Amino acid sequence: MIIELKDVNKSYPGVIPLHVLKDVNLSIEKGELVSIMGASGSGKSTLLNILGILDNYDSGEYHLDGVLIKNLTENKAADLRNYMIGFVFQSFNLIGYKNALENVALPLFYRGISRRKRNAMAMEQLERMGMADRATHLPGELSGGQKQRVAIARALITNPSIILADEPTGALDSKTSKEVMQVFRDLNAEGRTIVIVTHDPGVGEQTNRIIRISDGRIVTPDQSITGTQATITPSIQ
Amino acid sequence: MIDLVNEILATLKHNKLRTALTGFAVSWGIFLLIVLLSVSNGLVNGMNDMFSRRDTESMTVEGGWAFKPYKGLTDGRKVQLRERDINLIRNRNEQLVTRISATISNDSATVSTGKDYVTGGYEGVYPSGLKSAGATISSGRFINDNDIRQARRVIVLHTDNARNLFGEKDPIGKLVKINDLTFTVVGVFKHEWNTRSYIPYSTARNLSGGSDKVKNISVGVGSINSIADGEKAEKDMYVTLGNEHNFDATDQGALWIRNYAKQRLTQDTASGALELAVWIISILTMLSGIVGVSNIMFVSVRERTHEIGVRRAIGARPLSILKQVILESVAITTIFGYIGIVLGVIVSEIIKTIAINKEVEFLKDPSVDLGVAVQVTVVLIIAGAIAGLFPAMKSLKIKPVEALRDE
Repeated sequence: MIIELKDVNKSYPGVIPLHVLKDVNLSIEKGELVSIMGASGSGKSTLLNILGILDNYDSGEYHLDGVLIKNLTENKAADLRNYMIGFVFQSFNLIGYKNALENVALPLFYRGISRRKRNAMAMEQLERMGMADRATHLPGELSGGQKQRVAIARALITNPSIILADEPTGALDSKTSKEVMQVFRDLNAEGRTIVIVTHDPGVGEQTNRIIRISDGRIVTPDQSITGTQATITPSIQ
Repeated sequence: MIDLVNEILATLKHNKLRTALTGFAVSWGIFLLIVLLSVSNGLVNGMNDMFSRRDTESMTVEGGWAFKPYKGLTDGRKVQLRERDINLIRNRNEQLVTRISATISNDSATVSTGKDYVTGGYEGVYPSGLKSAGATISSGRFINDNDIRQARRVIVLHTDNARNLFGEKDPIGKLVKINDLTFTVVGVFKHEWNTRSYIPYSTARNLSGGSDKVKNISVGVGSINSIADGEKAEKDMYVTLGNEHNFDATDQGALWIRNYAKQRLTQDTASGALELAVWIISILTMLSGIVGVSNIMFVSVRERTHEIGVRRAIGARPLSILKQVILESVAITTIFGYIGIVLGVIVSEIIKTIAINKEVEFLKDPSVDLGVAVQVTVVLIIAGAIAGLFPAMKSLKIKPVEALRDE
């Protein structure tokens, strides 16, 4: 069990407190390719924030790769994000004035790894993504699909426990979306655990399991989808 | 560390115009600081230079007019110092007096060659008279101990007088006459306004027909370390001489005292105050620059909220963000501060050249030394850190969730 949520609650304070997540129970196995789907306002983003250690929750328990994620200091949370989670964002979130290589190497900068070493590692990741020839290009000089590949390379460079993708194809055209999804599937085939948050059913269909969330609750109890990779999931380890 | 510097340079380059405009205010403040400091140094050097020609460990006492009634005597009595006052002052003020000498003067005497003559009178002095007068020798020598001992008939002339008497010819070794007595010119001195001629004290005493009247008494003092000491020393003179010459010790007009030691202390205080004022003015000017830097860092942090969120999401600790913002601010202030230092130094060198060419006497060697450069650097770094502190605190409030927000 790489991700395990037990009765997780989260509400935002206000004049009328907003109860966003209601007793969420969720478990994701190592090596799974899962999508979390839900309409806008369903609590999907909040769930993503909690899974990504970007936000706290009020009650319940969240174990990530065996580590209880609760009441962390800012520093501890930063370190866990760096070591355990690879983020892929809808708008890529590359730093505009850094070239592809520097962007990919950035997470290692925060680990204090020497420049030479992290650049070598970043180059390796770019090669895997087929982006080696664009290493010195700035994000502004890359197409959407290329940017997302760079972003995926950045997520992979720390060798994280899970890849957490937030609408990774939201800003891409349909052809590029397919390519990016293929990248995720390939990574999954190598044994990576990938969680994709999306509202696009087309994306959801390409994952092995869809977790639907509505009004702060998980609606469908773990529903496996019959897909090309579905049977691989349990045996991949 | 190199990585951090690269990070900072990259962000600064990213916003060249804004960085330059912000930096200009800092450069301007530092530029003013350097120029003002060097000019004030020049003024202080100029004053010190004028004083260094003087014997600042001495005071000169001259007889004045007693105005206050004393022991039945009425006002308007001239106080005439005499040779015996020399021993009196020395014996009664042993703590204070390190050496003592006197001068005799005759203001009506003329110095002449066969054709030309000059007025201004003469003054009989000891070798220390040169320094007491604040004059410098431009050629030849001043009165020496042998001149005094042997009562030689030698004379030291002012440059203007030497030119009047001998034109462009070298006056040293030429003969002049005072009261039909022949004197040999042994030296020429420079002074702004004092054009009287100097002869040995013993010779002057002989000329005045053995009178023991002296013009003034020069007292060497070694122990004046504060203005209060200086005032105490003056008071002692009034008490000592008041007894002897029958005047009230509080009668300021009875003696004319030029207290160089006290003047030097006063001037030192004034120099210190000048320097302090310059620092305050410049730091206040710089403050506006620093507020500018701080302001621009706020803008920068705000603009980069999303980027900082991304950095936090991929594992940047809050401290590393804080460090980056503060160092960026320090980098802006230091880089542009140094531009200001360099420009300031160039301008003060130009002022220096002008001052030398135009012979501006009160401005000597206007420049700043290495110590000031170090002080300014420290000020810059601290200023930059302060400027960056508040924006950095703001950057700490940025949550990693920002990374998920769309720009």
